[in-house]
Amino acid sequence: MDVMAFFTWLEGSTLGHIAKSYGGVYAMAQTVHLASMALLGGTVLITDLRLLNVALRDVPSNVVSEGAHKWFKVALAVILLSGVFMVAGVAMKAYYNDFYWAKMAALATGILFVFAVKRPLLRKDHSLLPPWLLKLVAIASITVWFTVAACGRWIGFS
Amino acid sequence: MLNEVLLTFAQWLGAQQWSTGLHESFYMYNWIETTHVLTLTVFLGMLFVIDLRMLGVALTDVPASKIAERLDLPMMIGFTVMIITGLLLFYAIPVRTTQSVWFRLKVILLIAAGINAWIFRNRMKAAKPTWDLDPVPPKNVRIGAGLSLTLWIAIIFAGRAIAYDWFDCGKDQSAFLNWAAGCVADVAAH
Repeated sequence: MDVMAFFTWLEGSTLGHIAKSYGGVYAMAQTVHLASMALLGGTVLITDLRLLNVALRDVPSNVVSEGAHKWFKVALAVILLSGVFMVAGVAMKAYYNDFYWAKMAALATGILFVFAVKRPLLRKDHSLLPPWLLKLVAIASITVWFTVAACGRWIGFS
Repeated sequence: MLNEVLLTFAQWLGAQQWSTGLHESFYMYNWIETTHVLTLTVFLGMLFVIDLRMLGVALTDVPASKIAERLDLPMMIGFTVMIITGLLLFYAIPVRTTQSVWFRLKVILLIAAGINAWIFRNRMKAAKPTWDLDPVPPKNVRIGAGLSLTLWIAIIFAGRAIAYDWFDCGKDQSAFLNWAAGCVADVAAH
C-alpha cells in the first residue's frame, strides 16, 4: 500500500477540503478531540490510579475498571473520528511530521495494549491477580497514553 | 478606559525580560503549553467522570458522593496545574492575549463554570442523604452536570481559538468585534 498516495488522496478529498477551508469547523473538531482526550485520560487515570491504590481506594477496582472502560471506548471512538478529520486537513504536513508518526505508533501500541493485554487481564477477579502485575499494567497504561497525547501536542510545534 | 488600563498592564508585563524569554524559548513555552493541554486529562478527566456519574450514565453502581469526593483531590491538583500553566502562557504573550476576544470569552465562561460548580456542589451536599445510591440522580443535579459539561467544552473551544488570528485587533472587522476584543485604537495588536 502506498501510504503517501493515501495521504495525498486524503488531503484532496471532500473531508480534506472542508477541514482546510473552514477554520471554525476545524477548531470545533479540535475541541471535540481535546474534550474526548480529557475523557479518555480521565477513564484511564481513574482505572490506573485505582490499581496503584492512589484514588478511589474504597471502591473495588473491578467496578472502577468496568465502569471506566465503557466510556473509554466512547472517548476513543470520538477521538479517532475527529482525528481523521483533523489529519485530512493537513495530510501532507502530517506525512512529513515525525511526531505524527510517533503518535500513530504510540496510539497503535495503546489500542493493542488495552484490548489485547489490559482488558483481558482486568476482566478477571483482581483479588486473584498478583498486585505487582496490576501496578505494572497501570504504569504501562499511563506511560503509553501520556506518550500519545504528548506526541499529539508536539505535532503542532514541529 | 478599562481597556487602556488592561493594555498598559499587559505592555508592562510583556516588556519584562522573563516574559520575552518565555515567549522566545521554544522548549520552555511548548512544554508549558503541553502541560496545560495534557493536564486536561487530570482536571477535566476527573470532572467529566463526576459529571457523567451525576447524569446517571457512568459508574452507576458506585454511590454518587463517593465518586465526587474521591476524585475531588486529583481534580483540584489538575486545576491548580492548569491555572499555573495558564497564567504562564498569558505572561509569555500578554498584549495579544489581553486583546483577544476568545481569551475574554474564556475568562467569562470560567467564571460561569465556577458559579455553576459552586451551586452544583451545594446541591450535591444537600441531597446526599436521599439519592446517593440511586443510579440516576435527581433532575436539578443532572441539569448542573449537563451545564458543567457544556461550559467546559465551550471553554476548551475558546482556549483553542485564542491561537487563531480570526478576530485580532487591527483587522478590518466590525466595531462590535473590536469592542469585544477591547482593541485600543492606534496600538498595534502585537
